[in-house]
Amino acid sequence: MRKNNDMDWPYEYWLASMHGISNKKKQKLREYMKSAQAVYYIEETELKSINFLTEEDKNVLRIAQNMTSFEKEWEGLAKRGIWMALCFEEKYPKRLLSIEDMPYVIYGKGSLPKEGGISVAMVGARNCTTYGELYAGRFAKALTEAGAQIISGLARGIDGASQRGALTGGGKTFAVMGCGVDVCYPQEHIGLYMDILEHGGGILSELPPGTKPLPFHFPKRNRIISGLSDYVLVMEAKEKSGSLITADMALEQGRDVWALPGPLNSELSRGCNMLIRQGAGILVSPETLLADLKLSNVNFLENQAETKKMLETEENMVYSSVGLYPKSIGELIDETKLSVTEIMRLLVGLELKGYIKEITKNHYIRIY
Amino acid sequence: MGFSSVQSAAIFGLKVELVNVEADVGNGLPAFHMVGYLSSEVREAGERVRTAIRNSEMDFPAKKVIINLAPATMKKRGAAFDLPIAVSILTSLGKISQEKLSSMLIVGELSLDGKVQRVPGILPIVLAAREMGIMSCMIPKDNVREGALVEGINIIGVESLKSAYEHLCGIKEIKKISRKQKAIHRKSNKTCTEELDYRDIRGQHAVKRAAEIAVAGGHNLLLVGPPGSGKSMAAKRISTIFPSMTLEESMEITKIYSILGKVDEEAPLIEKRPFRSIHHTVTKTALVGGGVIPTPGEISLAHGGVLFLDELPEFQKTVLEVLRQPLEEREIWITRAQGSCLFPANFMLVAAMNPCPCGAYPSQRCTCTPGQIQNYLGKLSQPFLDRIDICVEAPKVEYEALKLNGTIRNPEEGSAEIRGRVCKAREIQNKRYQGEETRFNAMMNVSEMEEYCTLETEEERMMQQAFDRLSLTARSYHKILKVARTIADLEGKERIGAAHLAEAIGYRTLDKKYWGR
Repeated sequence: MRKNNDMDWPYEYWLASMHGISNKKKQKLREYMKSAQAVYYIEETELKSINFLTEEDKNVLRIAQNMTSFEKEWEGLAKRGIWMALCFEEKYPKRLLSIEDMPYVIYGKGSLPKEGGISVAMVGARNCTTYGELYAGRFAKALTEAGAQIISGLARGIDGASQRGALTGGGKTFAVMGCGVDVCYPQEHIGLYMDILEHGGGILSELPPGTKPLPFHFPKRNRIISGLSDYVLVMEAKEKSGSLITADMALEQGRDVWALPGPLNSELSRGCNMLIRQGAGILVSPETLLADLKLSNVNFLENQAETKKMLETEENMVYSSVGLYPKSIGELIDETKLSVTEIMRLLVGLELKGYIKEITKNHYIRIY
Repeated sequence: MGFSSVQSAAIFGLKVELVNVEADVGNGLPAFHMVGYLSSEVREAGERVRTAIRNSEMDFPAKKVIINLAPATMKKRGAAFDLPIAVSILTSLGKISQEKLSSMLIVGELSLDGKVQRVPGILPIVLAAREMGIMSCMIPKDNVREGALVEGINIIGVESLKSAYEHLCGIKEIKKISRKQKAIHRKSNKTCTEELDYRDIRGQHAVKRAAEIAVAGGHNLLLVGPPGSGKSMAAKRISTIFPSMTLEESMEITKIYSILGKVDEEAPLIEKRPFRSIHHTVTKTALVGGGVIPTPGEISLAHGGVLFLDELPEFQKTVLEVLRQPLEEREIWITRAQGSCLFPANFMLVAAMNPCPCGAYPSQRCTCTPGQIQNYLGKLSQPFLDRIDICVEAPKVEYEALKLNGTIRNPEEGSAEIRGRVCKAREIQNKRYQGEETRFNAMMNVSEMEEYCTLETEEERMMQQAFDRLSLTARSYHKILKVARTIADLEGKERIGAAHLAEAIGYRTLDKKYWGR
C-alpha cells in the first residue's frame, strides 16, 4: 500500500535517523523508491530485489520498519524548532554537495550558513593557551565585522573563543556538533549555545537529535566543519590532533588553510607551524587576513587607532616584561626589580587601560 | 562524725560553676552512695577515693557514706571532684575541722595511691574563685604554675591526699606561692619560644606584603600557588608579625587552652599568638566546638591568632560553611541539650590552595581540563570567598631566590620590621575606632566606610574604571576600599591615594567566573 509521493516529514525523519545504513545507500534507496514513505512500506519481495543493499542493510531496514514512534518523535522535534535539510533538498548547503561522504541529512536549530557569504572555519585545541584563545577571538571578531560567518564546533578552548569572538563582532556563527543538536556539549557552553541561536546563527549536526557526544563522532563532524566553509583557520594544534585532521580534510575538499604561527617551544603551536611549513597561509594579523580574503573592515582600523595610548617609562618596562604566556607577579618582580607595591600599582594600571589581563590570581598576559 | 561540705568547681563551656561537695557519714549498713546528677567518671570517683584514703595511711570506716554534689540540676563531669570528695569524707570523720575549709576551693584528681593528679581548667577556676571572694585554692601541685598566674588569691599546691590532710590539720603546712614567685612564673615562657621569622623566606615578596596588610587591617587572607611554593611556610610566620599580646589577651587565650588541658606545666601562660593548622579531614564539631557539654573547637583555640586551612578546596563544603558565622561575629554560641555556651573566636583566617587539581595552572604543564578546574573551584562557595578580603599568588620559588649567597647581599626583611609597621597601622586604627565596636579596618560597616574611605576625583575615576573593566561586584568594591584603607594606614596617610587603591585592586579576591576558562 503506497501513498502519494509528497514529502512526508515523519517518514523522512524515520529514514534519515535510521542507524546502520551509510549515507550513500540511504540516498540511493530514497531515489530508487521516490519517497521515504515508500521505503517504510516496502514489500518483502521488492526489498529482496534491491541489489545495492547487503543482507545486513536489509535486516536493519526490516527492524526499522517495526518502529512506530517516529511520527510522535518528529512532532516533538518540530515543536522544539529542530528541522532537517536532506541532501536532495534545495535548502541543503551547496558547499557540502561536493565533499566526500556527504551527509544524507543535516539537522539544525536556528539557521544554515548563507550560501553567498564567506564562511570561515576556525578550529584548534580544546586545551589551548591564552595566546591561542586571545587570537582566536580577535580573528573571529575581525572576520565577522567584515561580514564573514564563522563555523566551528562549540568545543572548549579555541572553538568557544572563536565563536564568542564572532558574537562580539556582531556576526553570525554556526556550530557543528558531535552530538544531537539538542544536546549541549560541553555543558558549560550552554550560554554560548543560546547566544549563537539568539544572534541568528545555527547549531548543526548530521546526527539525530538526542545522540550523545561519543568520541568517534568528532572526527566525522570535522569534515562538515571544513565542508561548510571556504577557508579553514587553525589557531593552535598539537602535532597529532583533531584540528590537523580537519586541516587535512579541508585540503582534500579544496579549502584554503591558514595557520596561526607560535613559539617553537610551544607544543600547541607545533601543528600550526608544521602546516605553515607545508604551505598553509600565515595569520600575521587580522588586517592582512582581511586584505588577503578581499574583505574590508573599517571598524577594525578605527578601534585600533582609538586604543593606542602612550605609556609611562615604568609602565612600559612592566608591559614589556608581560608576555603572551602568563607570568606571575613573582617573576615580574625578579625581572623588573621593582617593589611589590610599585609593581602592583603598575600592573593594575595596565590592566585598567586594557593592555594586560589577569587570567588567574596574579598571573598576567598581554592582550594588546 | 556527721555532715561536712567542701567547695569545688565545674566548668561548663567557658563558665565556671561553683559546686558544693557534701558528705555525710553515719551509722547504718556500710555503703557508699553518690548523688547529684553525676556522669560516669564522677561516679567512679567513689572507688578512687576509698582506695586513696586507705593508701594514705588512714582508715576508711565501715559506715554509711553519702556524697552529694550540689546543685543537683547541673550535670557534673570530670575527675576534679576526687580530692574534694576525699577531703569532705575526712572532715565528716572529724579528722579535719570544717572551719579550715571555709573560703577554700578544692579541685584535683586522685590516683589509687593517694597522689593528686593534674586537672584541666585550673586557670578559669582560680579566676572565678577570686571573683567570688574565695581566699584560697587547693589545686594539684602539677597545676601550681597555672594557678599562680592569678593575683590576689592564695594557691596551695598539693602533691598527695596525705599532704592535703596534713596541711588542713596544721601538721605540716604547705607554703603559699609568693607574689615574687608568681611574677617569675609569668615570665618563664619567654625563653622557650622557638623563633620563626619572615627572614627565613626568600623571595615571595608579594605574599609577605599581603600578610603585612592582612594583619594590619585584620583581613582574612587566601594564598594561591603551586605545591611546594611555601604557602604553609609563609602562613606559619603570620603570627610573628602580630602586635605582641597584652596580659589580658594572654590570660583569655590561656583560659581556653586550660579548659582543654593543653597548657604547658612549666610555662602555662601563652604569650605567643596561636597558630592552628587544620587538616582538611576536620569535622564541623572539631572546628567550631561542641560535645554533650560544649568544649571549644579549633576556631576558639585560634582566638587571637591565626587559623590556617591548607588545601582549602579539599575541606568538606559543610565544614567551611560553619565558619561563615563565627567569621562575622568573632565568637560562637554552641547550643546543646545541656545548655548554650559562648566561645570567643576572634581569629584571622589564612587559607591556602592550589590553582587547579594538578597545581600547575596557568602554565602549559597543567594537565587539568577546564571542567576539572571549575569543579575544584566549585568546592568553594561564594559566600565563603566573600569573607576573604585579600588574595595573593604564592609563586614557585626560582633558583635565583634560593641561592644562599643571594640573601647575604640583599637580606630579607625580618618579622620584627614588619611587625613595627603593623603596630603603627594598628595604633592609627585604634585611635580611629575609639569607643566603637569596630576594632580594625576589616570590621568597618558601610557608614564607617563612608566616613573613612572617601575617594577624591582621580581615585574615584580609577575605581569606576576598575568596576567596569574588571566586572567587580558591590561586595568586592567594599573589600577593595577596606584594604586600600589599611594600605594607606600602613603608610600613615590620612587619605586613600591612587597607589593604595591600585594595590588593593591587585589583591582582590579571585573571581571564579573568570578563572580557568
